[in-house]
Amino acid sequence: MSFSNEELLDMYSDMVNARVMGEQIIEYIKSGRIAGAIHPSIGQEAISAGVIQAFKKSPVKKNYGTCTHRSQRISIWRMGWKPFVGELLGRSTGVNSGVSGEYHTTDIDGCTIPATGALGGTWGILAGVAWALKQQGRKDEICFAPYGDGAVQEGATYEAMNIATLYKLPILFFVENNQIAMSTPTTQETVLENISDRAAAFNMRGVTVDGNDPIAVCEAIIEGMDLAAKCEPNIVEAKTFRWEGHFIGDPQTYRDLSFRDHLDDIDPIIKYENVLKEQGVIDDRMIVQVHDDERKKVQDIFEGTFNDAPATEEMVMDYNRLYSNDCGGEL
Amino acid sequence: MNNVSMLASIGVAAGEEMAKDEKVILVGEDLATQGSCWGYFTGFADKFGKDRVLNMPLCEQGYSLFSCGAAMMGYKPVVEFMFADFAALGFEAVADVSAKFRYNSGGKNSLPIVWLCPEGAGARSGCQHSQCVESWFANVPGLKIAAPTTPGDVRAFLRAAIEDPDPVLFCFHKAIFGIKEDIPDTLDEVPSLKNAAKIVKPGSDLTVVAYHRALLKCLEAAEQVEKETGKTIEIIDPRVLIPFDKEALYKSVKKTGRLLVSHEAPERGGFGAQIIAYAMEECAGDMKSNPVSVCGKNIPIPWGTLEDYALPSAADIKAGMLKALE
Ligand SMILES: Cc1ncc(C[n+]2csc(CCOP(=O)(O)OP(=O)(O)O)c2C)c(N)n1
Repeated sequence: MSFSNEELLDMYSDMVNARVMGEQIIEYIKSGRIAGAIHPSIGQEAISAGVIQAFKKSPVKKNYGTCTHRSQRISIWRMGWKPFVGELLGRSTGVNSGVSGEYHTTDIDGCTIPATGALGGTWGILAGVAWALKQQGRKDEICFAPYGDGAVQEGATYEAMNIATLYKLPILFFVENNQIAMSTPTTQETVLENISDRAAAFNMRGVTVDGNDPIAVCEAIIEGMDLAAKCEPNIVEAKTFRWEGHFIGDPQTYRDLSFRDHLDDIDPIIKYENVLKEQGVIDDRMIVQVHDDERKKVQDIFEGTFNDAPATEEMVMDYNRLYSNDCGGEL
Repeated sequence: MNNVSMLASIGVAAGEEMAKDEKVILVGEDLATQGSCWGYFTGFADKFGKDRVLNMPLCEQGYSLFSCGAAMMGYKPVVEFMFADFAALGFEAVADVSAKFRYNSGGKNSLPIVWLCPEGAGARSGCQHSQCVESWFANVPGLKIAAPTTPGDVRAFLRAAIEDPDPVLFCFHKAIFGIKEDIPDTLDEVPSLKNAAKIVKPGSDLTVVAYHRALLKCLEAAEQVEKETGKTIEIIDPRVLIPFDKEALYKSVKKTGRLLVSHEAPERGGFGAQIIAYAMEECAGDMKSNPVSVCGKNIPIPWGTLEDYALPSAADIKAGMLKALE
């Protein structure tokens, strides 16, 4: 697959954007300006960059999907900056006026299906969405079903894969394997080396790629989307590594943190910079520029959104938000 | 339609709605192959096609979540849990997904799903095939819950549930599948889920609120009590639990000053406790005796005929009525 310089740089700024957004969120949490459990994707930026580029580049023009608690960058691609950041910060300018929160953002018109708080459920929901797309003859639309290595241990994901293959649904299952779920390493979640091997049990195709390489992620997702659009459900797994705690402030007593002394060696952004430098697509000046630009973009949107009004009690207690007619009983 | 069983009335209502709206689909186990375990959808796969009668593998969690996804895209799934007990495996889809979706969408989109729950004891099948589940779900804002008893009411309220844009848990009792009555050939007006209570039998000395098999037992007990005491008993079938028809309850309790509630689900945390709470909040000053509840015992339902020990009998209800009338 060939990539234009523009596409390569686009992925680069997406990675940097995810990184600085993660850093910024950590700062806001530490200074008490963000409440609530937010899970930044620091170290995993090649995934969102590759996925978003695939969405842009794929001939499959539309996909419905959930986000995860660790995919802020993809959420923003789906919903736009203000609607997502407003939701994350519980502001009335959020896509659901700040009431549903980061993981449950719901925007059917914008193809965003809410993730379930109990991990495991969303693949089943997306199987239903995919069935509807097929039933309605919407041939160039698919479902994109992301989950982590922890969430896919839930039995509900097996049921979803079974239904998807039985009904030959246009759905791509994507596993972002960051090798840990809260405190539990993947080796204590499954005996499989590659989670994508589970595809065999459902007669699907499953591939595993380097999740620290945005190009590899992008290519695998584009192929997976092509197959899904032919009603061949399949799994793409991308392996990466979580740098931070599960949440901010997590003391991480459960793992050896010596890797943090050599982060440059495993940093997907540095690795990708070197690739782009070799190809002459980027130089040190541009690298600094991209970082400055993305940091400013993130700070501007967060600072601006902090000033937005939070949802009011009337919005929270709005009967019409909960029921379609007067048959709901009192709140 | 003459002599229609309650079981058949499920098929009547679903068939009418499927003919009317092609977005209505059925989802569950053994639906296309044998018209559900209970047979009320026999012939539906031939009539409406397998694209609308979705035969699912054994995966309540999977197909209930799937149904939420289909509903997000404009379909109106009627989803069967073969035994209401199995709704435990679909709990997330019912309570966490369908009930909260509209709220999270800011009131933009509802999920018009009907969760069919054939519930209750009677088949002597033990503790995990005999439960009444309405109270499991009554604590979840966003759900409506219907629990009609008779063939005519089951037909009418199932149609109301399917036409309602929000998720409705639809509970009906397996042990009384066989009760029969004549029902109208066509339903001129689909009822509202609101103000749904029906006075099954008027009276002036005691208000009884009961549904499903317990309602039939209350009718039996009331006949004896009325004969023995000369008092008259008003029996109310709420037909819908959420939204609960409080006005009908208040009106009756203010008149009689006495209240008995009865259902088969265990008493503790049961919906009957909520009904008593409603009455006491509004009518405490009118009460001549303490409210009485005659419900399922707070034990698992035992196997075989032993189940009778766990359930409210007509004799238990009669004793409760006499106590309330003291
Ligand atoms: C059913 C359920 N069990 C437990 C949790 C708590 N929980 C939230 S995130 C998480 C870890 C998930 O790991 P993974 O899917 O690998 O995603 P990651 O956090 O690593 O990105 C857990 C256990 C949950 N949300 N849902």
